Amino acid sequence: MTYAELQATSNFSFLEGASHPGELVEEARGLGMAAIGVADRNTLAGVVRAWAKGREIGQRVLTGARLDFADGTPSVLCYPTDREAYGRLTRMLTVGQRRSRKGECRLTGPDLIDHGAGQLILVIPPPNLDEAFEGSLTRLAGEFSGRVWLAAARGYGARDLARLARLDEVGARCAAPMIAVNDVLYHAAERRPLQDVLTCIREKCTITEAGLRLEANAERRLKSPAEMARLFSRWPRAIERTGEVAARIGFDLSQLKYEYPDEPVPPGKTAIAHLADLAWQGAAWRYPEGLPPKVRALLAQELELIEELNYPNYFLTVHDIVKWARAQGILCQGRGSAANSAVCFCLGITAVDPCAPKHDVLFARFISRERDEPPDIDVDFEHERRELVMQYIYERYGRERAAICATVIHYRPRSAIRGVGKALGLTEDVTAALAGTVWGSWGDGLPDDHIRQVGLDPQSPQIHRATDLAAQLLGFPRHLSQHVGGFILTRRRLDETVPIGNGAMKDRTFIEWDKDDIDALGLMKVDVLALGMLSAIKRSLDMLAADHGVVIADMADIPHEDPDVYAMLSRADSVGVFQVESRAQMSMLPRLKPREFYDLVIEVAIVRPGPIQGDMVHPYLRRREGTEVVTYPAPAPEHGPVNELESVLGKTLGVPLFQEQAMRLAIEAAKFTPEEANGLRRAMATFRHYGDVGVYGAKFVAGMVARGYDPEFAGRCFRQIEGFGSYGFPESHAVSFAKLVYVSAWLKHHHPDVFCAAMLNSQPMGFYQPAQLVRDAREHGVEVRGVDITLSAWDCTLEEKQPASPLCGGKAVRLGLRQIKGLAEEEGRRLILARAAGARSLEELARGADLSRRTLELIAEADGLRSLGLDRRAGLWAVKGLSAQLRATAGAPLLSVLGGPAESQVELPLMSLPAQVMEDYRTTSLSLKAHPCGFFRPLLDQLGAVAAARLKDRDDGAPVAVGGLVLIRQRPGTAKGVVFITLEDETGSANAVVWKDVFTTHRRTVMSAAFLVVHGRLQRAGDVIHVVAQRFTDLTGHLARMKSPKGPMAGPSPAPRLVRSRDFH
Amino acid sequence: MRGVRRLSAVDGRAAKLGLFVGQKATDAAALVPELTSADTDDEADAAALAALVDWCVRFSPAVAPDPPDGLYLDIGGAAHLWNGEGAMLADLLARLEKNHIAARAAVADTPGCAWALAHFGPADTIAPAGHTAAHLAPLPVHALRLAGPDADQIARLGLTTVGQLMGLPRVQLTRRFGPSIVRRLDEALGRCEEALSFRRPPSPWLARLAFVEPISTPEDLARVSVDVARLLCAQLEREGRGARRFELCFHRVDGAALTLTVGLSMAGREAERIGRLFAPRLETIDPGFGIEVVTLSADGVERLGDAQGELIGGGRGPSGPDVAPLVDRLANRLGDGRVWRDEAHPSHIPERAVSRRPPLSPGAGHGWDAGRPRPLRLFTRPEPIEAMAPVPDDPPIVFRWRGLAHRVRRAEGPERLAQEWWRLAPGESGPGHVRDYYRVEDEAGARFWLFRAGLYSAPVPPRWWLHGLFG
Repeated sequence: MTYAELQATSNFSFLEGASHPGELVEEARGLGMAAIGVADRNTLAGVVRAWAKGREIGQRVLTGARLDFADGTPSVLCYPTDREAYGRLTRMLTVGQRRSRKGECRLTGPDLIDHGAGQLILVIPPPNLDEAFEGSLTRLAGEFSGRVWLAAARGYGARDLARLARLDEVGARCAAPMIAVNDVLYHAAERRPLQDVLTCIREKCTITEAGLRLEANAERRLKSPAEMARLFSRWPRAIERTGEVAARIGFDLSQLKYEYPDEPVPPGKTAIAHLADLAWQGAAWRYPEGLPPKVRALLAQELELIEELNYPNYFLTVHDIVKWARAQGILCQGRGSAANSAVCFCLGITAVDPCAPKHDVLFARFISRERDEPPDIDVDFEHERRELVMQYIYERYGRERAAICATVIHYRPRSAIRGVGKALGLTEDVTAALAGTVWGSWGDGLPDDHIRQVGLDPQSPQIHRATDLAAQLLGFPRHLSQHVGGFILTRRRLDETVPIGNGAMKDRTFIEWDKDDIDALGLMKVDVLALGMLSAIKRSLDMLAADHGVVIADMADIPHEDPDVYAMLSRADSVGVFQVESRAQMSMLPRLKPREFYDLVIEVAIVRPGPIQGDMVHPYLRRREGTEVVTYPAPAPEHGPVNELESVLGKTLGVPLFQEQAMRLAIEAAKFTPEEANGLRRAMATFRHYGDVGVYGAKFVAGMVARGYDPEFAGRCFRQIEGFGSYGFPESHAVSFAKLVYVSAWLKHHHPDVFCAAMLNSQPMGFYQPAQLVRDAREHGVEVRGVDITLSAWDCTLEEKQPASPLCGGKAVRLGLRQIKGLAEEEGRRLILARAAGARSLEELARGADLSRRTLELIAEADGLRSLGLDRRAGLWAVKGLSAQLRATAGAPLLSVLGGPAESQVELPLMSLPAQVMEDYRTTSLSLKAHPCGFFRPLLDQLGAVAAARLKDRDDGAPVAVGGLVLIRQRPGTAKGVVFITLEDETGSANAVVWKDVFTTHRRTVMSAAFLVVHGRLQRAGDVIHVVAQRFTDLTGHLARMKSPKGPMAGPSPAPRLVRSRDFH
Repeated sequence: MRGVRRLSAVDGRAAKLGLFVGQKATDAAALVPELTSADTDDEADAAALAALVDWCVRFSPAVAPDPPDGLYLDIGGAAHLWNGEGAMLADLLARLEKNHIAARAAVADTPGCAWALAHFGPADTIAPAGHTAAHLAPLPVHALRLAGPDADQIARLGLTTVGQLMGLPRVQLTRRFGPSIVRRLDEALGRCEEALSFRRPPSPWLARLAFVEPISTPEDLARVSVDVARLLCAQLEREGRGARRFELCFHRVDGAALTLTVGLSMAGREAERIGRLFAPRLETIDPGFGIEVVTLSADGVERLGDAQGELIGGGRGPSGPDVAPLVDRLANRLGDGRVWRDEAHPSHIPERAVSRRPPLSPGAGHGWDAGRPRPLRLFTRPEPIEAMAPVPDDPPIVFRWRGLAHRVRRAEGPERLAQEWWRLAPGESGPGHVRDYYRVEDEAGARFWLFRAGLYSAPVPPRWWLHGLFG
């Protein structure tokens, strides 16, 4: 029995299909189908996944799409027969998408006629087989003679057989023979509930309201050829025709031969010759003291391989982009595996010197002959000016040949539970509460006690069903979005390879495939990424030149290996420093005590899920501290030399820390073949989506144990690989990031004023909020001055000190108007222009800059009128009076405004300091006047809480309490349910550890408190201090007292949030 | 059941536990797991407030509601009846307490001041005449009944009490916060009049007939019920209105009042028809020593076009025979809920695919789908049958129902309907909950709607049922 299902809808027909493409393909294979066609509505977004799965398990997958038309033409399934027809299909979809809004595709009958050559067309009959349909069918059959069928499904409706008989007759009459399909929405019957829920989400109704919009039964699943034959037993030809159609399709996605665009080269030169010229020139620039022989050899070797694999144009492209950015003064730096290439270093793409000590460059990690995969170069640009780079690429290659990849936005735990909850008719507060309990990933459902803790009954069938369905919905695609910066470039028209649609942003287009799809097909892409830290560094360098006269043109020109910088980092004095400012990194720094650049590489890489899950962190630290002997795991003597791993693990003291090392272990120790290693690497990269990494796990451990390795060590190595899978962090990547760690640390150490202002101007970015950045700067002797209407620019700026302080050579930081919440940038800029034009008084400024009442009030409430002699209250009073004058005399001559009637002086009550601080936080998120905790010190004393700065005087294990504002809550997936809380009081910050059982008991307090006292025991490891929590006192309610010392008359009210904590899951 | 549920009111104990108005219900439940809460019912609240307003008439005829939870009493010229304001206040509060109504009250020269004191002042304050300003001064600014962001901004200026506001130049205040703040201040201080909207008189649609001689015979009762209906209907007609409910009340000489009510399916005002509807039930009235007054009041009063009147009076309208009078008579004879109209309801489950609607309500327009034939008579409970059918899903060849064998001559199906999984307990689903429906015709030409519950492949053998009859 031969049957091919030609109408299968995957979940890339959003909110309709209820199975992943791969699930459909696997099920088809299990049922023994000749082929399966996954055809989604007006899109090819899911075809690569289906095809890749088919290639993996040996199931033929047909590539096509279901086309729905806006002009009444009946919907069709369209299967291209060859490469050219496929190109026409993608062009048709591109045309439809480009003329519609993002996410939509508007097609008409004429589009199909224009692009119909070589397509096989299966017409989908409407419920009502009227004359109009017969007319359309006849027209289509006439247009595409011999390539049109009438798709008929038997869905167990009341009059199926009558309808099939009629379709057969209509098909015969219109020269469009009837062909059997099952109009599949999911691979197996158990997905029916999920499909119903998707329908509800789509129709924005609840399951009880949905009525006939739902399917009546679970029959729209994949069925075996025998079952299909039985259902169509009266029409056996309809079944046979599926095989005939499949046989006529000669197209397969593997035929997408990728042609990289040619780059312009000087006349008479080949691309590789030009690339070689550039590389040798670059080598001379990188090594002014003479080219080291190692680099010379590497360059020659790499160039040879690049030529052999025909990648020179790709390198020329990336070089051109980077060169252009440099010319515009845009900072950029390559990351990822490209850092293994000497060519990339010499071309200025990456910053990793192949001659640097310890870092051994392995070009094979980047490109290898065996691994037939295109190279992947990722370049970071300043995040604020990356758009310019992208526009440059569009301009250079044209819209037809350059586009950004898609990112598939998946259902995450919160969105899944929200969608399902709504569909099941749970009230919004219940779904919100359920969604709120989701911290991090969740596997088989929500733990009951979490549900109980938000006041819900986990036994309730409604709740149970909601969590169950949400778990199924998890990972379903929701919509396509554009990738942050993955460009794909082609020589022939790109829209003949993949459909291109509109982005949400104007002038943005992106293709339907994501990064994994591109990888699976072996296409080449350039990642143009944005990095906030590069913007901050760029701002710092500009400010250094302008305010301090220190000119540093490039990051590479910053003095290397400054011991003071390392000393600062070893003290964990790293607020604001790239990558190493998090709590986890801060507690690692004093233990690792970086002394040289390579230590930073390790620092960046070690606080990652990989090494942590593999339990590699502590062995490494012990060996570094000299308390453990450096040994190398070895195989049994008969299986190989004892030191076979020394070359792999030497630089990390015998402990694997980097992704590459884990891969080398697979090859050297577990004797993986290159293909297997490649498969493992691929599984690691896509671990989040598919769970095939486990297959390699057994093989990896077995391979090492068979060769006499310690099973425990083998297991740890593999757990580490799994950890890498979630967040791959290869050594080359760590090196690139470590460069930025050093640069930002150098700036912070030598120019804290510049660093503070640049960081504030680059917000939001990093781990800390402006309040902490300002606090840190002040602790380093930087004077920070408040926002002011006559002194502040839009950005934070540097001002001369009066008199210049001998203590700190820097300047004072003046907060910019950008610090005021809700202030429109445009008005801020107008204000500065008016000031430059000579406006001085409040009236002149308001008038000259044409400021709105709201803007003036915001500035007054932010206490920004001090330079005009007005405090916060007097300022607000004046502004309110002023705006009334303005309003009253709109259109009147200027003089009458300025000369308004004089008012008698009004005495407003003085504002208390706590109230001032509270208002500072409310308006600018920080206060330069005092720290809120200071006002509660008597209360904190009473509760036995010590100042954060005094914690270091306590002994290890001593009972201790500390209180403060909650800055950060973290529950890392690697820490087995432990929650870390960072508190801040008027003396500094303190870290608390909440073990799982304590957290479970005090869950609500831990998750919601804004002002908290943690009681527990002090834990000290070197300079790192934590408070291990035992119980808590929630003081959040007390914050409200700051506003009015007398106490409000009304009852309790929600406490104001001074600081919104950043919660990481 | 949509939207975020928030607390709309808390009592003293709840407030002490840290709950507050506006808090999310789930947050409150997480904080106080043993919390009992009840859903807000705004309509009931409004009705309760209206009732309270009516009740307060005993203290003064001038009562004005202050939704959602307050009222003003103008006790000018009434307090002396209670021997002074203090005694009156005490009496009012005592009576409220007896009815379990928690209340705060204050007496002052102006509504504004009384409101401020009742909401923000010491409990049960009486501000003597002429002392308004002194009592207002220490109260917070919010006591002036200010709305919106202005009140917050005034507080931010450090102006926390009414007294501070009173001390500021009025021109400057007005310039900054508009005229409303000064007006509120003037209202509270009695510098300007505040117009309160006092309660309306009760429903005006009432007709009354008094008799010189008490009546008691059934004929008289029937006659006066039509007479009084004519009076009321004349009024309704003048106003262009009709009513859906009528209450007839016989007041006996001994003071007892006996009432009868009738309802109409559409608003109407035909005296004879209304009288006819009361007639069959007059026999339940025991006139005792005689009836001296009869009243008829109308409820559910709504606007009624003249065309509607013609339709009801004139027999055939554009939409076919007028069944309204028939429906009314049937409904009043058989009782509420015994007359209905069937309407298609969008559901795959046959039992749920029909819904009962009021007999004359406009249709929702779903219509009946010809692609899903359903029997005219659907059994409330399917009846078990024995059937022989080829596996897996062919129609039966023969079946036995109520002892009679039927040989199937024609059949159509199956139409497969799966159960609504969201009504099942979790985990309970699968093929056992599938029904395959067949439309079959036996040799006598009778048509049946059968189904097989379950599939032959399932572990539990399927059973056959008869669910309805066609034609």
